[in-house]
Amino acid sequence: MAPLVDTRPARSRLRRGVSVRDAGPPIALLVIVLILSLLSPQFRTMGNALNILDAAAVLAVVTCGTTFVLLLGSIDLSAAGVMGASSLVVAVLVENSRNNLDLGTLGILIAVVLAAALGCVSGLLVVLLKVPSFMTTLGVSAIGLGVATLVFDGVQPGVVDPSLRSWATGRLLGLTYLTWIAVVCVLLAWFVQRYTRLGRYAMAIGGAEEVLALSGVRVGPYKVAVFTMAGAFYGLGAVMVTSQLGSGLVQSGASYTFASITAAVVGGTLLVGGRGGVLHSTVGVLLLTVLTNGLVLIGVSPYVQGGVQGLIVVVAVAVAAAPLRHRNQVVK
Amino acid sequence: MVMPRTAATLLSLTLAALTLTACGGDTDADGSAAAGTCDPSDVKLVGQVRNESNPYEASWLDGGDLFAASVGLKQQRLTYDGESTKQQEQIRQILAGGDTTCLVMNVLPNGDSDTLPIVRAADQAKAFLVTQWNKPAELNPADYDRWISHLTYDGVESGRQIADALFEAMGGSGGIIALQGVLDTAAAKDRFAGLEAALGQNPGIKLLDQQTANFSRAEALAVTKTLLTKHGDAITGIWAANDDMALGALEALGQAGRAGKVAVVGIDAVPDAVKAVSESQMTATVSSDGPWQGGIGLAIGYCVATGELDMADITDVQRAFFAEQFLITSKNAGDFLAPKTDPAGFKCDNVFDRVAAPLT
Repeated sequence: MAPLVDTRPARSRLRRGVSVRDAGPPIALLVIVLILSLLSPQFRTMGNALNILDAAAVLAVVTCGTTFVLLLGSIDLSAAGVMGASSLVVAVLVENSRNNLDLGTLGILIAVVLAAALGCVSGLLVVLLKVPSFMTTLGVSAIGLGVATLVFDGVQPGVVDPSLRSWATGRLLGLTYLTWIAVVCVLLAWFVQRYTRLGRYAMAIGGAEEVLALSGVRVGPYKVAVFTMAGAFYGLGAVMVTSQLGSGLVQSGASYTFASITAAVVGGTLLVGGRGGVLHSTVGVLLLTVLTNGLVLIGVSPYVQGGVQGLIVVVAVAVAAAPLRHRNQVVK
Repeated sequence: MVMPRTAATLLSLTLAALTLTACGGDTDADGSAAAGTCDPSDVKLVGQVRNESNPYEASWLDGGDLFAASVGLKQQRLTYDGESTKQQEQIRQILAGGDTTCLVMNVLPNGDSDTLPIVRAADQAKAFLVTQWNKPAELNPADYDRWISHLTYDGVESGRQIADALFEAMGGSGGIIALQGVLDTAAAKDRFAGLEAALGQNPGIKLLDQQTANFSRAEALAVTKTLLTKHGDAITGIWAANDDMALGALEALGQAGRAGKVAVVGIDAVPDAVKAVSESQMTATVSSDGPWQGGIGLAIGYCVATGELDMADITDVQRAFFAEQFLITSKNAGDFLAPKTDPAGFKCDNVFDRVAAPLT
């Protein structure tokens, strides 16, 4: 009974904090969209909105995976390698320009399972060997790139499989299939986070792992499961990139490791764990994608675009987080 | 700290003395005499590139293997994942391994600043070195005994060649967008300068927009989609500073339903691009001939090491030069579909056949 009473004030303070923090990134997103719409007539077209959603699709799926790992209070730097491996594997298993295999959906499934397995390795290393996730995931990324380079073998496999190709080109109600896949993934991830034991425990592990362990929960298996799930998301993301680019590339995931972490943090999923979530991160994904798109459309010189984008992100996050700076742990 | 420095001073004094003696003309013992005495079977061949995960550099190492096989040797394939420190570490290890006077290295330095330490280390270990692509302008192979040659390609020329091909395909008028490489690299700057030069001579062509896609296929896809939204049907041509970006742009055109209506050009002649050119999906690309690059550096070093080529006979131009590059269009794409290397090009009499111009 006593501990419950003790936690009550802390909890209510947290709640108030959450509401302010939750509102920040979406408001920043709205403001940026508004400003860009005023500055560029092309930005506010329906076509461009669909274009932005399409461009955000892969990052959104990858960020779903990253988000769960961040909720744990861990970090995942393996997306680049895991995606490289999956991209190459799916490209050589479906109908392609290099061999006679034509496994179709089974090939896609194998690529995703491979990615999940690599994620599982990360998780096992973290839990069993107690190696910091920073190191294990970096190592697993290198393994993934190694696998990818082996499969690549000097010749890029081009994807011929019409159904996989249609992921990037086919449209339903104006949105590309890729966008729909991303929407389903985000909803699924949100459901897992909100309504399943895995998601709730991930949040709790990030918030107070010791408390959870003391109360009799075996934390290890949940951690491994989270890393595995993250791997699966990276794998699906890789299949989506492969469909977009039309061939299996070792570097297909190169930019996603840090883009996904940035998106998650910008959206309000904190690196310390236990705070934020899938929907927060998705707002972050949209914010980054809208910026990349908008800066090109309003004609910012490419020489300063990177800098301008970084500046806007920093300002947006700082402004959004200002009301809770004194208790925002990331500030340290 | 003091001891090594004293040693270094002594060493450089000795070297200076040796150079003076060499200038005096009585012996050339340290330089070319040793250079020509390697038994062909004693020569060790090393090829070093960033990684094997892109078709261009993989084909480079394959070319090195091909040359090695043609003289009955094996090439040691090294990759450093695009990390400067790792490259230096590999060079140190190679040069630390026993007798290095018959060692031949064909190296792609990661960046301009990485070239000097590699050159110094090779010179000190008396290993033969050929470098490609990157070196600071003021660094000259002629100032070193064992750094035989540096070869690279004229990016301004390749940028202009593909621009000319693009403008021709567009019928001399229309709007283009340019996809630039990593903006602070010499390759990106030179190639874009070539485009600007071509634009100057073609007033009918308008550069609607230029963006960087960092040499990446994925980024090019996203940027091109955005630019297609911005400029719509005004875009009738896309100039990309490399093939990966050109291929990304091609995908973007396909997804926007504009495939075949916009001419696309790139540089590097990666297999996918050559295929696209041969199928007339792409207009042109430029080949530096990766397999040749991988073979030629080893061939030059081998010829000097075995004495078939005398360092004294190698001209200043041959020691630092732009190599010949080839414009690939639908007319000749068929010849480039299967990368083939003519071993005759690696014969000691022919190793400098592709010198196009002195390095400026």
